[in-house]
Amino acid sequence: MKGRDAVPRAIDARRASLGILVAFLAPALVVYAGFTVYPVLRTFYNAFHTITPRSVVEFAGLANFTTLLFADPVFWKAVINTALFTAVATAIDVVGGLLLALCLFARAPLAPLLRVVWFTPVLMSYVVVGILWVWIFDYDWGLANATLRFLGLGAWEQSWLGQPSTALWSVLAAHEWKWLGFNMIVFLAALHALPSEVLGAAELDNCGWFAKLVYVIAPMLKRTIVNLTVLSFIGKMMVFDLIWVMTGGGPLWSTETVSTYVYKRAFEWNTFDLGYPSAIAVLWFVIILAFVALMTRLLRPRDRLEF
Amino acid sequence: MTRVASLGARARRLPLVGFALLYTVVTGGPLLWVASMSLRTTAEIFKDPYGFPSPAHWEKFADAWFKSNYHSYFWNSTIVVVCAVALVTVIGAMAAHCLARYAFRGNRLVRFLILSGLILPPQLLILALFQILLDIDLYNTLTGLIIVYVATHIAVTVYILEGFFAQIPQDLFDAARMDGYSDFEIFWRVTVPIGAPAIFTAVTLNFIVLWNEFLFAVVLLTDDDKRTLPLGIMHFTGSHQLDVGMAATGLVIAILPVVLLYAFFSETMIKGMTAGAVR
Repeated sequence: MKGRDAVPRAIDARRASLGILVAFLAPALVVYAGFTVYPVLRTFYNAFHTITPRSVVEFAGLANFTTLLFADPVFWKAVINTALFTAVATAIDVVGGLLLALCLFARAPLAPLLRVVWFTPVLMSYVVVGILWVWIFDYDWGLANATLRFLGLGAWEQSWLGQPSTALWSVLAAHEWKWLGFNMIVFLAALHALPSEVLGAAELDNCGWFAKLVYVIAPMLKRTIVNLTVLSFIGKMMVFDLIWVMTGGGPLWSTETVSTYVYKRAFEWNTFDLGYPSAIAVLWFVIILAFVALMTRLLRPRDRLEF
Repeated sequence: MTRVASLGARARRLPLVGFALLYTVVTGGPLLWVASMSLRTTAEIFKDPYGFPSPAHWEKFADAWFKSNYHSYFWNSTIVVVCAVALVTVIGAMAAHCLARYAFRGNRLVRFLILSGLILPPQLLILALFQILLDIDLYNTLTGLIIVYVATHIAVTVYILEGFFAQIPQDLFDAARMDGYSDFEIFWRVTVPIGAPAIFTAVTLNFIVLWNEFLFAVVLLTDDDKRTLPLGIMHFTGSHQLDVGMAATGLVIAILPVVLLYAFFSETMIKGMTAGAVR
């Protein structure tokens, strides 16, 4: 017997009969088709219809989309909020995560312990984190204002979640508190995979830490940076839980995001129409997909670093 | 000379140490604060929000547990998460094994179809899932939520397992086939034992994510006695808005199991949680 072709079919471990393939794949595919693929298709279908209570379906053509784009100021407010939140949170996620990882990589005292402590919030649910941070931002007895008073900065006291100018950024702070540890761990793993000779050589060339970071470490981590940017971007564009728990989109739509607006239009406003929120969800998904395609295209490392 | 150099090195590390200390306080401080509040009454908290809990009111934990529906929230979350994770692991591992092991027409198509589930926003599914579960009478049932959790986590499970299974040397499978193992035996007696670390990682990830899941649960469940823990916490703190002390106790009850597990299995949980992003 020479080569794969010579192996009799019945013995070749790479082949299986159709029955075997179906037996292995069917359970996953049936559940996946029924409760993921079908809902997606149905959402696309809904987006072009008006669906009133008792499931009366009327064809609406592009009406949902034209209303959405040209006659819905709340939707645009939500888009702007989500875009701001996404841009800033993604940047903080990547830069902050890298800085925390470098801090541990530079052998801060107790680094192995700190790594575990800093990751703790990642494991908590957004509900717990949200409630905790509502208390932190409480005007009278919250930690945020108490810290400012302690530092003699009492003049900066704010009703953090109660006014439109600070609410979105306060939610963002809570989000970063929960999520930075995740990016830190991913960067730390990438840093430990770097060849130590390169870092040693930079050390010998008497390269300052900032120059080392920008010219040596960041280029070698490009793949991780791109992955985390895309991952962060997708997550922030869909942000729901934390906003729902902390502000519910208020005050005055200052924290309304696309996801919270979809939820409200479907289940809270008594408009009784699942078509319109479906149109929002579809449009937003297409935008996310376009951005992800664009980012992976633009940011993909052209020449792979050899090391 | 060396002494001066090492002093200089130490001075340069000062900002690093300062920053590490500051970030540790930022992470841990709020948790210690809520822990102390959980042992104090609301009157004590309003008098001095940052005082030490003395005397410690341990009885608040019993009150929160027995006078609210916490036991039912815990039980519901346990049923839903254990069933969903068990199911998604079994059917995900079977599919991943099939995709990693067998060369067949349509392999790439099936893989693409399943893995594209990784980027689907829940918002794109949730409205239609609400309709579908109403249609088949599974709306507001734990069974319905379990099915939804399984379906929405097949993608990530297959993603983690398929990558690992594909790296198992083909020789093992050829040898098993020569020895007359059936296809199912090969899966059960070769892939599963060798792939156990990856299976364990996938279980950990799905367990943490589903234990914390909020959006699907809030849309698909309405009755108080069906609420999972995240919904229960929100309900409990919502109904104790003026009684901050009791709300803090409720929050700590929700945090405690996670922190306890984390204290013992920190490496496993870190590895599981970042499984999709670290390679």
